[in-house]
Amino acid sequence: MHGMYMTRIMSALFFCLIAGYSQSEEAADEFAAVREIIGSCQVCHGEEGASTQQQYPILAGQEFYYLYVQLKDFKSGLRADPIMGPLASALEKEQMQLVAQYFSEQSWPQYEYATDDNQTNVGLTVIAAGQCVACHLGAFHGNSRVPRLAGQHLEYLTKTMLDFKSKSRNNSPAKGSLMASFGDEQLIAVAQYLSALGDDSESVR
Amino acid sequence: MMGITKSKKLLFTLIIGSSTALYSAGSIHAQEVEGGTLYGDMLTVTQDMLDHAAGDANNFLHTNGNYNQTRYYPAHQINVHNVGDLERAWTFETEVVESMETTPIVVNGVMYVTTSFNHVYALNAESGKQIWHFKHKMGPITTYCCGPNNRGVFAYGDKVYMGTLDAKLVALNAKTGELEWESQIADPELGYSETMAPTAVDGKILIGTNGGEYGIRGFVKAYDADTGDLLWTFNTTPENSAGVWATEDATGRDMLRDIKAEKAALKELGDPYRTLGGGVWQNMAIDRDSGTVYFVVGNPSPDLYGAIRPGDNLYTNSLVAVDLATGNYKCHFQYIAHDVWDLDAVSPPILTTVMNNRGKEVKGVLHGGKTGYVYVHRADNCDLIRFSEPMVSQENRWVLPTADGERMLPGANGGVEWSPMAINPKLHMTYAINLHQPMTYHVEATPYPGGKLWLGGAFKVIADEQQWGNITAVDYNTGQVKWKVKTQQPMIGGILATAGGLVFTGEGNGWFRAYNAKSGELLWQHKASAGVNAPPASYNVGGTQYIVVGAGGNVQLNYKRGNEVLAFKLGN
Repeated sequence: MHGMYMTRIMSALFFCLIAGYSQSEEAADEFAAVREIIGSCQVCHGEEGASTQQQYPILAGQEFYYLYVQLKDFKSGLRADPIMGPLASALEKEQMQLVAQYFSEQSWPQYEYATDDNQTNVGLTVIAAGQCVACHLGAFHGNSRVPRLAGQHLEYLTKTMLDFKSKSRNNSPAKGSLMASFGDEQLIAVAQYLSALGDDSESVR
Repeated sequence: MMGITKSKKLLFTLIIGSSTALYSAGSIHAQEVEGGTLYGDMLTVTQDMLDHAAGDANNFLHTNGNYNQTRYYPAHQINVHNVGDLERAWTFETEVVESMETTPIVVNGVMYVTTSFNHVYALNAESGKQIWHFKHKMGPITTYCCGPNNRGVFAYGDKVYMGTLDAKLVALNAKTGELEWESQIADPELGYSETMAPTAVDGKILIGTNGGEYGIRGFVKAYDADTGDLLWTFNTTPENSAGVWATEDATGRDMLRDIKAEKAALKELGDPYRTLGGGVWQNMAIDRDSGTVYFVVGNPSPDLYGAIRPGDNLYTNSLVAVDLATGNYKCHFQYIAHDVWDLDAVSPPILTTVMNNRGKEVKGVLHGGKTGYVYVHRADNCDLIRFSEPMVSQENRWVLPTADGERMLPGANGGVEWSPMAINPKLHMTYAINLHQPMTYHVEATPYPGGKLWLGGAFKVIADEQQWGNITAVDYNTGQVKWKVKTQQPMIGGILATAGGLVFTGEGNGWFRAYNAKSGELLWQHKASAGVNAPPASYNVGGTQYIVVGAGGNVQLNYKRGNEVLAFKLGN
């Protein structure tokens, strides 16, 4: 009886210690409140958002405000997506901000995409015509609400531009008529050029 | 003997003591001077200095030279006879490799420059060595057009002031670069942001706003220079913005408006003033005698889609004058009513004496329009006296934008972009830098998107057509083009005129050049390692005149980026 009682106390103490240790660990983790959510994001978007699957965009190192706006737009339906819609609907504003902040602080992964000179030339011509640099900046790293494109997955970039063109993606009004004014092959060339862009920052903040 | 030795000792001690004291005092002075200037602690910019800037051949106190914004520098040590000997004096590299649009400000040998993303540097203007470096703590929301630029600080009293991309006005200690205060000008989430330099006068800091691409309600605001408190706001889109239903622009061409449809739309939609745009992109000119502030107002939102904003869209695309003390409206002149081409008024206005149409000299206002004309106004009532010969090709102007795009020249960057002009008042000439950049204008019906980019269509550069630029000299008393120099690429940045009979301007390919102001003859050039797309300045330290310019390239025209401030003086 006495032994069991002691064991119980010891167990209680033991678990208190563990709980205490975990709590102080959690207190140091500013993303504690959204760790579980981040975990579920990573299922598709990869460890720390460095997606290795072409259809799921890289989130690691993406602009904070862009990520936050996309989550808001998914939730409101302004950006229609059968997977992201329901996922974002479950999030509150503060959670969205934390998730966006987390991924924006990770490092953008370096994947090897190749492109040939011909595609590069076509891509650069389209970029000059569309004045893309005016918003996405010279190295295509974006800023704030304007996303980084440099080194993004080829399949995702291609789909995005074609979705803007066909109006299946509607949450960036500046994109619609601009994309529609180019042929599909031209947009694909741009996607190839952008996905192959390295991390050599021409722009330092 | 003892006495003499003692007194000698005493004397010796006194002398050493005094010398030490003097030396110490000298050291302290030297320490302060290291953070200050060679001319003592004269870092305070007084209102009197600012009022006399036009005749100040030592400093460069205003973004555009003086309150009249003439960009005419009164020094002539560097002149048409010796500018060929101009050589690099020093180069300063900033931390930010991105477009530079800063006008360097120089106060008693201390130079202030800004970079993209709102860094400020204080430099020794003689050596180019850094004195201090301030980095603005940028918020996460920055909504701007055309690059994360900054056009410079304004130095006033013992502070320097800067507008930021996240729509703040910051005041820094001019000596140390420490932040004294910051004021939130407007909500960046709605599209407000600052790239312009502010203007200080009579204890006030005046600043406009970006945002014509985002459906803001534009303004000019006046803040207390000491506290950062808001003193007055002039909204550039009045609650009744419909105007007079003008059918022709200032140059007399039909703008192809469907007035009937617009009037019907106005009844249905109500006045669009709340999201009508009308940013004020650049510094105001100030007439000190009458206490009048002159500025030009940018495009209506959304740029291309006019059906959603019926009416003249006052005061977009206009010259506006307000009272300095109160911000109350005085007069306006609209260049393009109900603009659907983004050919807005951005190049800062210049005050100078002009000839009216009866040959009489009057106070006038000049503006270089995106349309590619120099407009000359009466300062007293904003009326247009004349417009110049066109500086750039006019093709298909006006044609309404369509879904598939219509070609028109000038393209949507102008004409004359934001680049300030300069004048030579002795020659009564004004100098503008121009773009020839063929574009197609596309329109698409778009509802207000809550702070996102709202163009109502798209502007496309025609990829297989040639582009170039000009430097054009216009006689503002007659409107004639006096000379024109063609440049390899469209021009953006700015120009400086000097009493040495010169004009200085840079190009996206890195060439920084000096021309004879009278004839346009090329007299000197220097190749920088990035695009020279910022307005030049000039100053004097220790009896030597310098020319200084930023070379960081440009986002809008995608010119090679860099991070250098270049200063030049005459070689031996």
